Amino acid sequence: MPTLASLKPGESAFVTLLDEGSYTCKLLNLGILPKAKVTMVRKSPFGGAFYIKLERHQLAMRTEEAETIYIEQEL
Amino acid sequence: MTKADRFNIALLGNPNSGKSSLFNFLTGLRQDVSNFPGVTVDKKSGRYTLHNGIEAHIIDFPGTYSVYPNSSEEKLVINILADADNPHRPDLVIYVADITQLERHLLFATQIVDMGYPMVFVLNMTDLVEKDGSSIYLNGMKQYLGVPIICISVRDEKNMEELESKIEDLVEKLDRLSASPLYQLSDIETFVAGRVQKYLGLENIYTAKIISHHYQWLEFLSQDQRKYISDIIARSGFNDLKLQVRETMQRYDSYSEVVKKTVISNKKTLKSRTDQIDEWITHRFIGPLIFFVVMLFVFQSIYSWATYPMDWIETGFATAGSKMNNFLPDVWWSDLIINGLMAGMGGVLVFVPQIAVLFFLLSILEESGYMSRVVFMFDSIMQKFGMNGRSMVSLISSGACAIPAIMATRTISNPKERLITILVSPLVSCSARLPVYAVLIAFAVPDIKIFGILNVQGLAFMGLYLLGILGALGSALVFKKILKSDSGSFLMIELPDYKPPIWKNVLLSVKAKVIAFIAGAGKIIVFISVILWFLASFGPGDALKNAEMEAIQKSEATGKSIEAQNNLIASYKIEASYIGHMGKWIEPAIAPLGFDWKIGIALLTSFAAREVFVGTMATIYSIGNDNDEKTIREKMAAEVRPGTDIKVYTTATSFSLLVFYVFAMQCMSTLAIVKRETNTWKWPIVQFLFMSVLAYFSSLMVYQLMG
Repeated sequence: MPTLASLKPGESAFVTLLDEGSYTCKLLNLGILPKAKVTMVRKSPFGGAFYIKLERHQLAMRTEEAETIYIEQEL
Repeated sequence: MTKADRFNIALLGNPNSGKSSLFNFLTGLRQDVSNFPGVTVDKKSGRYTLHNGIEAHIIDFPGTYSVYPNSSEEKLVINILADADNPHRPDLVIYVADITQLERHLLFATQIVDMGYPMVFVLNMTDLVEKDGSSIYLNGMKQYLGVPIICISVRDEKNMEELESKIEDLVEKLDRLSASPLYQLSDIETFVAGRVQKYLGLENIYTAKIISHHYQWLEFLSQDQRKYISDIIARSGFNDLKLQVRETMQRYDSYSEVVKKTVISNKKTLKSRTDQIDEWITHRFIGPLIFFVVMLFVFQSIYSWATYPMDWIETGFATAGSKMNNFLPDVWWSDLIINGLMAGMGGVLVFVPQIAVLFFLLSILEESGYMSRVVFMFDSIMQKFGMNGRSMVSLISSGACAIPAIMATRTISNPKERLITILVSPLVSCSARLPVYAVLIAFAVPDIKIFGILNVQGLAFMGLYLLGILGALGSALVFKKILKSDSGSFLMIELPDYKPPIWKNVLLSVKAKVIAFIAGAGKIIVFISVILWFLASFGPGDALKNAEMEAIQKSEATGKSIEAQNNLIASYKIEASYIGHMGKWIEPAIAPLGFDWKIGIALLTSFAAREVFVGTMATIYSIGNDNDEKTIREKMAAEVRPGTDIKVYTTATSFSLLVFYVFAMQCMSTLAIVKRETNTWKWPIVQFLFMSVLAYFSSLMVYQLMG
């Protein structure tokens, strides 16, 4: 299954599943949960991190964090 | 202090909910910032008088996303909320939510309701919603939460009286409207939490579930209680993460329809203002460029704005000192007051302007939302050095002064990343090193230009700054390898919408930082100043008296003026004092670096603050209180090694001394603030040792290679 890290800037998708691990708790608290729509806005200037947009708010996360979020193009 | 003697009101909510602004509004200037016992988490509390005359105690808790914490701040909040006997346990919760982020901000609110706390639900930032023409309907939400709801805008101070009267009403009758839980426990949860509830004698089953989740680190549990809970969990197959996902999703599902009916938007916005700003601010090339321009401005402001008040403080203390000198009797305790205590206090206060200016600008950047973009942009670079995107701000601020820079590391949530930032920040050359560099570069580097424009001395200045930065990054790499981390590192942060700063918040945060510095580090600085004064004013036996006599005889024989005689006395006295002896005592150790005992004395007194080097040199070379760099330079240039005509300040010695000042930890104020921020003497000692070792061996290498 593709993860959020595989999206190109400008692309959107829906969260299907979170890879359970040390990031899960934090992701849930920030509103990343199954069925949420996520948009990859851009990469950080020196790489390694992404600017992600959800329905109403923006988040920054590292590549390895985004790799724990499984996505699908459509629900 | 027991729970019974006061009425506690807690301000709770997610980060960026405007909670602290509301706190500032409710308490005004009647607030104080201290630490929660045992942890370096700011506890902001204030008094709030209810109309029936009861004094309530309002605490602004750290921003929290949910009862499943990720940082030490959040853990602290859960520790208090889950503990029935905690002295900070709230009697009433004012929950603040950003109405534009309602869905996320509701999560924690529903959990607090389920814990059975009486609550007022405050929807903040309604000004933003109304501005884009949306409407707010509260009926569904009222029914769902079962608690009073009020819409306010702290920024416009709108609806604030109503909020206050709602608080009054609730204090009169403290209970929830509906008692049915918002979250339905699963079978396993009911089993485990039910047992734990019974065992601990709790009123609330949801609280028992939270305790079951976090029993390993909740501080109020005894060993036996931990054992009991862990046994039940082992038997039942209670899976923390799965249950957290279940709970979070069920809560979102239960209110997502309610949220849609609460804020009804009239227009479909394609791109928000924040999106547009971020296209530039976080742009691949322009973003970092903007950051450096902003930091350049911050840096310049600290230099230029803080210089004037710093000069006033220094002259003020000097004038007061000489006035008191005339008025106090000529005994040792007058000298203690003037040169020990007052000099120490002056040494504390002189940092206040820099701290104030830096935190004024930083809190504007923080309040507006810019700081989280900085973290996003520089996270990956700083990561390589074991630090965090936020460390960037501290390292740059260190260029002005390490003290506010270290105080600014509070916002780094990972303890290891924060510690590394604290440890290496003082290696970046601060403004106090400038006068030392200025005096010494003149010896080490010729005053010539290359290619007609580049001044070599200017280049040397830049080289010293670069050396400091390299030292900081290199040490960070070493600490990254050595230090262990017990908590995982993550970036995952919110990039909040841009908002104009609320000035009251900015000013209160400046005030809090200044007070924290004076109260926390001030005592230690004054104490060490007094010790240094003692070492420089007293010597073994009659040594000082003899030195004074000798100086008088000598100056009378050569027919010097009174001023020259006093300067000579001072010079002889410092040589005969304890610190003079210490300087001679360490001479064998510093001789391989090219330093004599006079430099040794200056190194020791520099521990009060680096700029003291210039003043000490002036005393040793008996130029009196004339801190004129040129005079000192001339004196030093003429200095030869005893019995020879070899110059003391050769290029090699000067370079060696310069390198020493780049790396050495010669600032007791920094050590005092590190002690305060890390809550232990361990880290300031480690920092002092590693920087001294680094300075010693670098200087040794420079001197041996060049000499």
